[in-house]
Amino acid sequence: MSGAKSRMRNKNMRDQPSNVTYSSPGCRNGGDSGGRPGGSQHGKRHGLANQGGGWVRGHHSGGSVYPQELPKYITSTYFAKARAAEVKAMLKAVNKTTGSCHTFGALPKHMRRRAMSHNTKRLPTRLREGAQRMLDKSLLTAKKDKVESKAKSRKARRRHGNLLLEFNRRQRKNTWLETHIWHAKRFHMVKKWGYCLGDRPTLKCYRACYRAMSSHCLLQDLSYYCCVELQGPEQQLLSALSRLTSKDTGPTFAAVQCLSGRRQGSVVLYRADQYPSQPLGPVLFLWRPRSEGSTHRQLWIWGHPTVKQDVLSELQAVCQCTEAVAPPTVIAVPVPEPVPSPAAVPKGCAPKQASGRKRKRSEQDSDAEPAKKILGDGTRPPTCPVTWKSTSSEIVINDLTMEMVRYRLIGPLSHTVLTETLCPATDCNEEAKKSQSCFWWPEHCKQEQNMALHREQSDLFELLKGVFSSAEIPAGSVLGLTVDDPRITLPRHRQHAQPDLQQAIGVDEEKRRALTLQGVPEHCCQSGLWDRTVRDNVTDNKMSEKELNQKRCELLVPGSRLTPTPPQGRVPVLLVHQPGKQLGQEMSSWGAGWDLLLPKGWGMAFWVPLVYRGVRVAGLKMSLKHSQHKGAPHFPHDYPDCPAGARFQDEQQAELMNKFTRRPPAKRTNYVKHGCLAPFRCPWQQLVEEWVEIAKETAESCCGAQTGTETGTEAGGVAPSRFSVLRSRKVMKQLSAWCKPTSSRGQRLQRGAQGQPPAPLTPATAASLRAAHGHSLVWARFSLLAKGRPELHAMVCVPTQEDLRLLKKDPRSAGPLEPRHKDHLRKRVKEARKEEKKEKKKKKKEREDNGAMDKTKKEEEEKEEEVVVAVTDDVAPKSDTPSDPTQMPGEQPGPVPALPQNQEAGSTPIRTSDGDLSVTVALPERSTAPSGQEPSVSAPAPAPAPAPAPASAPASASASAMQEEKGEKLVLGLWPDPLPSVTSHCSRVTLGWVTQGDFSLAAGCGEALGLVSLTGLLHALLSQPPEHRGLLLLRNPSSLQYRFAKITIEA
Amino acid sequence: MAEPRSPAPVPPNPASLSSEGPMAVEMDPVEYTLRKRLPRKLPKRRNDVYVNMKTDFKAQLARCQKLLDGGGAGGHREICIHGLGLAINRAINIALQLQASSQGALQLAANTSTVELVDDLEPEDPDGEAGEPITRTRNNSAIHIKVFYPAPQSS
Repeated sequence: MSGAKSRMRNKNMRDQPSNVTYSSPGCRNGGDSGGRPGGSQHGKRHGLANQGGGWVRGHHSGGSVYPQELPKYITSTYFAKARAAEVKAMLKAVNKTTGSCHTFGALPKHMRRRAMSHNTKRLPTRLREGAQRMLDKSLLTAKKDKVESKAKSRKARRRHGNLLLEFNRRQRKNTWLETHIWHAKRFHMVKKWGYCLGDRPTLKCYRACYRAMSSHCLLQDLSYYCCVELQGPEQQLLSALSRLTSKDTGPTFAAVQCLSGRRQGSVVLYRADQYPSQPLGPVLFLWRPRSEGSTHRQLWIWGHPTVKQDVLSELQAVCQCTEAVAPPTVIAVPVPEPVPSPAAVPKGCAPKQASGRKRKRSEQDSDAEPAKKILGDGTRPPTCPVTWKSTSSEIVINDLTMEMVRYRLIGPLSHTVLTETLCPATDCNEEAKKSQSCFWWPEHCKQEQNMALHREQSDLFELLKGVFSSAEIPAGSVLGLTVDDPRITLPRHRQHAQPDLQQAIGVDEEKRRALTLQGVPEHCCQSGLWDRTVRDNVTDNKMSEKELNQKRCELLVPGSRLTPTPPQGRVPVLLVHQPGKQLGQEMSSWGAGWDLLLPKGWGMAFWVPLVYRGVRVAGLKMSLKHSQHKGAPHFPHDYPDCPAGARFQDEQQAELMNKFTRRPPAKRTNYVKHGCLAPFRCPWQQLVEEWVEIAKETAESCCGAQTGTETGTEAGGVAPSRFSVLRSRKVMKQLSAWCKPTSSRGQRLQRGAQGQPPAPLTPATAASLRAAHGHSLVWARFSLLAKGRPELHAMVCVPTQEDLRLLKKDPRSAGPLEPRHKDHLRKRVKEARKEEKKEKKKKKKEREDNGAMDKTKKEEEEKEEEVVVAVTDDVAPKSDTPSDPTQMPGEQPGPVPALPQNQEAGSTPIRTSDGDLSVTVALPERSTAPSGQEPSVSAPAPAPAPAPAPASAPASASASAMQEEKGEKLVLGLWPDPLPSVTSHCSRVTLGWVTQGDFSLAAGCGEALGLVSLTGLLHALLSQPPEHRGLLLLRNPSSLQYRFAKITIEA
Repeated sequence: MAEPRSPAPVPPNPASLSSEGPMAVEMDPVEYTLRKRLPRKLPKRRNDVYVNMKTDFKAQLARCQKLLDGGGAGGHREICIHGLGLAINRAINIALQLQASSQGALQLAANTSTVELVDDLEPEDPDGEAGEPITRTRNNSAIHIKVFYPAPQSS
């Protein structure tokens, strides 16, 4: 008993007569029984019902004590005195309300109600008083807490200015788009790339979004794409930019159509002069049409935020633009006088709030904190300059991130939505033209040529009404336009935009034909959006929602259109056509649409009217699906050779791993048993290297050269070149022709289209291609022949001769099965875990000796840590050649024979460890154990296996050494890091992996997109009979079932 | 895609076409890639059937039959079957099959027309001086077959 307790007891026992002694538990009994009569003073029922236990207990203990030492006589005075003292103590105990005794505890359980704690009147009368007191007390403390934690009431917090402050605080780390609040109410938001982006709607609308894409219109906010502006003389720009691109990959910055400004182009950028290695990523670019008599040009490069930094630094390097110009905050405030809103719009806020904030700031402190006026996004620090000048040339680079809003409309009716939503700007009246105006439009109207251009542009825009599908317009066309504020023509209800036949008839057929054939003429691609001053003017003078509503309110006929359009309601926009699927034979121009480029601040003003035309809105997930249906690689998912792609892979791996370890260990997929080496991350580099090695071996064996030189080549090693994705159009075309069965109609077509038959696939041509692009991966599409839904990181494998026979017999056959692998790692994991435990125990004992008390806690910790254990040095995996020697005959041009499959079932998972903790292995292992006892032995492989796993030997040799140094984390069901040979791990040789796969609603079968090794693909194609060329197998990481798939390379 | 898209009945070799085309004389067949645009999409009524070569023949026939029979509420008195290029044969085939299976109750009225198709020729070397993509039109035949129950008073 602690000192305080004993003191308390002494105090309680102060009046206790000395002849009555209580044992220490008895003391508590006394307290209990003391409570009883006290309770009965308040109300009898309470005491009886609640404290019955006390009765019984007291009685028992008393009963056991009394019979032995009952005194023969008692002195009445002493007795009375003692009882009096007891009664006094009891009364005191009863009257004192301690914090711990709760009123509700006094009620029997069946009488308690939840709401009693709020409303004391629900309590029995006798308890009310106490309860009320308690309630007051708790309220008081709660209030005190609240006041301390949150300074403002909800109402205050929701007040406009405070709300905006809060919003600004919340988007400090991840910038919001202008449509953020709209999205946040309807979407699952994710924080990605320094932005808050909508991932997918909370509604179930996967199929509806697909339908919208393929038959109506799907809307996305792409404002997070970053724009970099280059200005300078055309020649200088082109010569600088040509270092970043290559003609092999298709049109570059210098493509005639794009250079004139009539089309938007897309290129893959590389580091300067590094093609074909070191790609940066794909970008879109748009030239401003030439202004007469000037060679000064303006170019916008739009890229994904993850690629922006790389691109920007590379651009600065090639343009020699190193001289940073002072941040444009100085420039940003040329604001005309009569405008009610003097301050520059804070970035990233929704327009409504932006205007509201302006007011607030101007009232309170006119000099708004400069930190709030930061231009741009979270991808760069606030004080960073956004403009760079060149010292040697006249090139200027501007970072226009978040300076413009970009909406993407996908679908055949997206032009209908646009024509309904936008309405070409109305001319301003005469007196406005004469007087000086602060708005850009009246000034713009003053020049007759501008008006002529505007009329021409709006005529062209009207022509779109006669078009039935967005795919009819030439791919990438650009149309500049000035439109009225779309909020003015907002319909009262949401409606579904449909092509209007009447309007279509009214359109001049000849002109429409010219539009679909020639596209938009060059001068019509001009737009005010290119001018910074115009952009800023429009942004700063945007009419707030409130003012607009005020004007609407003053209309004579409620609901009628606001006329005339207020002078600040003209917005320059750019419409950019997005080509749909362009490559390949099927589904051509699927997913075509328009991009709408707006000045910043106008996002919501256009968003809501667009949504009111019945479009579906989608998030990031659907844009992934869009590119999947188009068969196009999606950035950054499918660009593993770009830095951004590599980063994405890391993130994805971490995410998938996290998801995996969240499951209880017993419920996880054992990927080792499924023969899946890399379920979370594709080891592209290893794959490519292995295939190059295999090709080398094959070539050597074909030439009849001795295989004894293997070790020499391995030891010497070729300079390890990094893998890259093949983007050369020519090679892609050749491959695409080779991948088709020779008898198909497509082949004939291809030949016809190309004008001459492509070189036939022979070992010689293949070898030459391999020599040039050996370390390349090829982007390919796989469509399943029968059932199956490919998943992320499914393996692409080569079918054996047997498999093809199986398919011939039954075209709908499900496909072969992978024999189940044995998880020999399991034992090692367990051993390691045991070892871990032992060590922990040892440590614990030591600590216990020192006098630590929290034993149970540690045990709990240990249990949690069971999942991931560190392998000690002596159990590190030695180099393994699990059935690789037997597997390798498959690398001769003939397909893998069926023989290894049977063998594999028994002997695949052979791993020996020669430490003292050696695994007690089953019998089959012993047969191959000699070959794998030492890591160094396995490299010069024994004679019966002339071709050992090519890359695994050097890799594992070096890796095992590394592993011995540092403890490697082992997770049950996953391979530890130095992977064995990825190509030959399973019974079918692996070619590559799938990066996107799903059931395709467009094709009606499972479809996957992925990358395969070029060398491997050539190897596989060569070994296949011509009529079966291009047939491969797909297998999901968590399944043993192979499915037949047809490979298509679209070029 | 319910679009009547002929999978190229005539492989339009740019070299052979260039002799006919007025504009493309200097065209080198190797340096251009042909890309065909979809035929112009026209608004579609409920009883329009566009026949293509990708969908199974039986399925298309069944679809037409279903339109005529009209599940429950009432079928159409007439349907229009459209076929373009290679699919003309198939459209005729479907119409005749429908007629044969109706024991003479259905009548046919065929119309032919010409559809203008657009091809894009993209230069392989877009940066050169001849780098302008060329757009060309080409014609293809189409058939529109009206399959209908004759008016009651006439029978």
